[in-house]
Amino acid sequence: MNQPVASDLPYTDTKPQGSPDFYYAVNSTFRFMLRRLGRDVWQRYLEEMGRGYFAPVNRQWSKGGLNAVARYWRAFFAAEPGSAVEVVEQPDRVEVRVRECPALKHLRAGGREIVREYCQHCYYLGSARAEAAGLTMRLSGGNGSCCHTYARPAAGLAPQDLQQIKEACL
Amino acid sequence: MIGCYDFCGHYEWTFGWLERTGGHALVREYWNEAINHDSQRHARDLIRNEGIPGMLKYWGHTLLEESPSLGFNISHREDVYRMDFHDCPSRGFLLRNGLNNYRDYCDHCMGWTGPMLSEAGYVVDHEHNHRGQCWWEIRPASAQGGHAAPGLVAGDQDVRLRPDWPKDPAKLDRYTKANDPDHKMK
Repeated sequence: MNQPVASDLPYTDTKPQGSPDFYYAVNSTFRFMLRRLGRDVWQRYLEEMGRGYFAPVNRQWSKGGLNAVARYWRAFFAAEPGSAVEVVEQPDRVEVRVRECPALKHLRAGGREIVREYCQHCYYLGSARAEAAGLTMRLSGGNGSCCHTYARPAAGLAPQDLQQIKEACL
Repeated sequence: MIGCYDFCGHYEWTFGWLERTGGHALVREYWNEAINHDSQRHARDLIRNEGIPGMLKYWGHTLLEESPSLGFNISHREDVYRMDFHDCPSRGFLLRNGLNNYRDYCDHCMGWTGPMLSEAGYVVDHEHNHRGQCWWEIRPASAQGGHAAPGLVAGDQDVRLRPDWPKDPAKLDRYTKANDPDHKMK
């Protein structure tokens, strides 16, 4: 896996990888929002984060196209401890093939109850970011291994079937 | 995917989103329910069961993981646990990246540790300067009197001895024998 390149990530830290215990907080944040605010508001949270917090990435993708998408995901997963991911560039799309999700791996190792909607967050967040960059995003698999596809609209990806996203579990 | 590398960034963004969505009460409930009672339940269990030795175990591990460059110092005596942050890894991330979606990110620490420590029978003296420097003294709730004089517990690692530590109290947020994030004295 390549080491992260600062210019490929919108926000950078002084250490090369994050602290995996923070995955506990991400999972707990989802649980809190799903219980307290409901699924629709949780989805809105992710979409607004995708357009807001991730706006610098979206601009990089708009400007740099699919190559920028591929560079971002390589840098992203290099900074996530425990990930096993391959990023494959094709003429009209980029596939992020996640063999081992670092978040679910750590949540399982810690014996944490994983919200069953966990894997859907990648779709709601990713599709909002892709749309802001003039791309489309689809997700298949889940529960520890999955494939994110970022494509030009001309690729004509079939609409997302949420049933294609597996529920997460311990 | 939401990652852990830039966690402090989207965590801070989330505080602002929660406040816009459900007001300050929702942010407080988030810190207590999602962080204290769920995410950090390992800290809660350790400190409730072991007291100050549990604090040494929890923060000794988590701060070393978050700040390998040791921008912090931990010290203790029999009746007080103290932390001095000279370069907070969390606040520092936000400052370096120019992120500001919530009015005082530093409040989240008291937001979840305050209730956690209350449940374990402890109170907090604390000051932060919003620039990545702060100090904490945690004592049993029965403790009387004020906080320790500069250098008394942490020696020369006491953040208050830094030349750039504000002399003007108005530039510090302060808590005295507190557990509630809203019991801040300016």
